[in-house]
Amino acid sequence: MTFTVSTPNAGVVRLAIEGELDAVTVPDLRKEIDRLTSTSPKRVEIDLSSLRMVDSSGVGAIVSIYKRVRGQGGEVVVSGLRDQPLAIFRLLRLDRVMLGADLPAPAVNAQRNSE
Amino acid sequence: MMAEPALIKIQMVGRLQHRDLVLRSVAAACKLVNARPDNARPDNVWADFRTQVVTAVGEAFNNVVLHSYEGQDEGIVEIEIQTRPDHISIELRDWGASFDPESVPLPDFESLPESGFGIYIIKTLMEIQYKAGRPNVLTLSKSLNGSATQHDTVDGDL
Repeated sequence: MTFTVSTPNAGVVRLAIEGELDAVTVPDLRKEIDRLTSTSPKRVEIDLSSLRMVDSSGVGAIVSIYKRVRGQGGEVVVSGLRDQPLAIFRLLRLDRVMLGADLPAPAVNAQRNSE
Repeated sequence: MMAEPALIKIQMVGRLQHRDLVLRSVAAACKLVNARPDNARPDNVWADFRTQVVTAVGEAFNNVVLHSYEGQDEGIVEIEIQTRPDHISIELRDWGASFDPESVPLPDFESLPESGFGIYIIKTLMEIQYKAGRPNVLTLSKSLNGSATQHDTVDGDL
């Protein structure tokens, strides 16, 4: 997992996370979350288009950013989710909360209970 | 080519650093599960199967290291993978603290929890059996037929 942080505008933080965000790698991100939220940004943009795999600890870290920034009155926008991370966000019912207009159409290969 | 049934055993000290090794082994074992020798099955069915199995085993391995062996650095984990042409099962054995998967509550999604997702993810993606003892044995299994469990909806509309 690697991440990059940039500040395209004052009060706006862009966080791009790549690779695998899991129990092994999440401690590194947690430190950045502490640093990032300490500045009380107005808007945090989380780009997950290069996130390949996520586990429950990784999801927990994203939820943590969301709750902390919102708790400070800021806005969080998650974009680019696809494949396994998108499936996990859907499974944990975070898609409607965090993705909004960025939500891709449901997968066509969905496996239904009735089949 | 029809894959032969296979049995793979791995034993290691349960540390998060070994997670990648475990998941790569499980992903590789999924290649031994291939019910349709004529490639009639769309690739995405098999790819989803592998992703779901790897995701569930990752959560199970996290649980062993972070909960069963909480505060310990030398706990042994044994992993036994059995494949058939249309099925995979993975046993995780540990000698740490036991738990009851049935007593783990569903996540309270409305409150946006930051933890407590692991068992829910595992149960949604695979069939689960757990036997507490020495060792604790968690068995995860899944068929490559699109209807392995009643919860099999990771890509569905939940």
